[in-house]
Amino acid sequence: MIRHTRMVRWLDVASFLVLLWSFFPAVATAQVYIGRDIPHRGNLEISGGAAWSGGYDLGSASAEETRNTGTGTGPFVLFSTDSEAEPSVGLQGRLGVFLASSVSIEGGVYVARPDISTRLSGDAESAPDLTATETLTRLVIDGSVLFHLTGASFGQGRGVPFVLGGGGYLRDAHEKNEVIETGHEVHVGGGLHYWFGQGKHRVGVRADAAVSWRTGGADGVDTTRTMPMVAGSIAYLF
Amino acid sequence: MKRGAAVLLTAALVAVSSAPTAAYLKLGTRVGTRTVTLKWTQFPIRYFVTDRGTTGVTSTQVQQAVQAAFSTWEAVPSATMSSQFVGFTLANPVRGDGATVLGFQSRPDLERTLGATSFIIDSTTGAVIESDIFFNTAFPWSVSAQGDTGFFDLQSIALHEIGHLLGLAHSAMGETELRAGGRRVIAAEAVMFPIAFSAGTILGRSLRADDIAGIGDIYPNATYTRNTGSISGKVTKSGTGVLGAHVIAFDLRTEKLVGGFSLTDDGSFVIAGLDPGPYAVRVEPLDDGDIESFFDATLNVDVNFRAQFYDKIVVVPKGGGTSGVELKVVAK
Repeated sequence: MIRHTRMVRWLDVASFLVLLWSFFPAVATAQVYIGRDIPHRGNLEISGGAAWSGGYDLGSASAEETRNTGTGTGPFVLFSTDSEAEPSVGLQGRLGVFLASSVSIEGGVYVARPDISTRLSGDAESAPDLTATETLTRLVIDGSVLFHLTGASFGQGRGVPFVLGGGGYLRDAHEKNEVIETGHEVHVGGGLHYWFGQGKHRVGVRADAAVSWRTGGADGVDTTRTMPMVAGSIAYLF
Repeated sequence: MKRGAAVLLTAALVAVSSAPTAAYLKLGTRVGTRTVTLKWTQFPIRYFVTDRGTTGVTSTQVQQAVQAAFSTWEAVPSATMSSQFVGFTLANPVRGDGATVLGFQSRPDLERTLGATSFIIDSTTGAVIESDIFFNTAFPWSVSAQGDTGFFDLQSIALHEIGHLLGLAHSAMGETELRAGGRRVIAAEAVMFPIAFSAGTILGRSLRADDIAGIGDIYPNATYTRNTGSISGKVTKSGTGVLGAHVIAFDLRTEKLVGGFSLTDDGSFVIAGLDPGPYAVRVEPLDDGDIESFFDATLNVDVNFRAQFYDKIVVVPKGGGTSGVELKVVAK
């Protein structure tokens, strides 16, 4: 009785895996990159391009003084601030290795110079409103796992979508590089490779879209920020 | 000026014209051709309390309020100094008797002075030898934990005066309004603001960021040196330095306010004792108090310019400084 139950469970698992594998019914063997059976375990992919990162709100603050009794209610607001990190475009490079035809891991570097801006307003002594700024040098070093959806390839196997997820280290250097603040990020997303040619070494283009959750860095607080990222790259497979 | 609203400092205020000093105002004294910071060099600071109370306050309560005020300053993590109550004395808190004495004294002639601090200093080093603080019995006083309507809180005023005793001058971190008879405080964010909060409140019992930065600057310890930074630069008007401009650094993360002054003819300023991080910087003329409450009357303090912000976010490094902040102001 017990043995029978185990057998049923194994069959259930196997059925589920088959079902999962056949989610893309076009059967990978028919469209895994035209011409040759790459990528396969051990193939490398190097890519580089530009990446856009969305901005995010850094919050508001008030410069407040303790109000004397009989002069009103609440703290005396000397002026107010409203800060945000502006969207930015940076450079991104990656090096990946295929563990199988549909799985690869990669490491990436992203460098950008986003602006931080703080709107200063509502001054009690009528100082003109002004937006103060500074430019960060942002470095993100990350690692990702990619699942290449070979079953969903198109264009005779030239176009292959993928999904990815990973995390990394965040380093923000303020102007003059005298203050460096670090943090970490995790991301999930997806994208598309489109390969040209049929040779063993191939050039292609790559598009990525991801959502990144970042903690630390120039924020200086433990708040996790959510931001979109979009990247376009030239890729080389060998 | 509101009766009893002014706190007079009898010691020589810093009038540094040769070198910038850090974090609002420190007391200083001339030694030859240079100005040195006035500070204690022997610890603990041994003090007596005059064995005299006033209506509603006993001498023991005076001692307790004074001790609480000393303890508040000594609790600042970035500063190291200490004090010791020696005992009660029949002596008045007057200069020149060789003892540091704090206590009540009847001074009806000083109709706007709640308390005052005086010093005897070593004229070669600037080290404080003796300092005395009197609280004027011409005013009603209270030591109630919640404050008493119509009575000035002794601990709050003691905290301010002991700030002077330790070497701090007045801070300009506050706003006032002119009323019949003088100025009234609308708000303040420093115990060392020269005009006291209204009678009945105990708001003055807690140090603010401005006070903490200042005391750390005078008696810095390893925490101060390691964990705080500074902003320095110049205030100029039409290319010429502005003397006596009040520069405020606002911590965009912690919302703390710390101020400093441009203290040289070329408009140089330093604000020290700042937590690391990004700051908004603002400059304003010294128009919320009598200039004599801050500077020597002989100095040519410029108040003819508009308040304004600096157009860059200034990031303060831990244990270091950000320099080159130039605030270009325009005349009113």
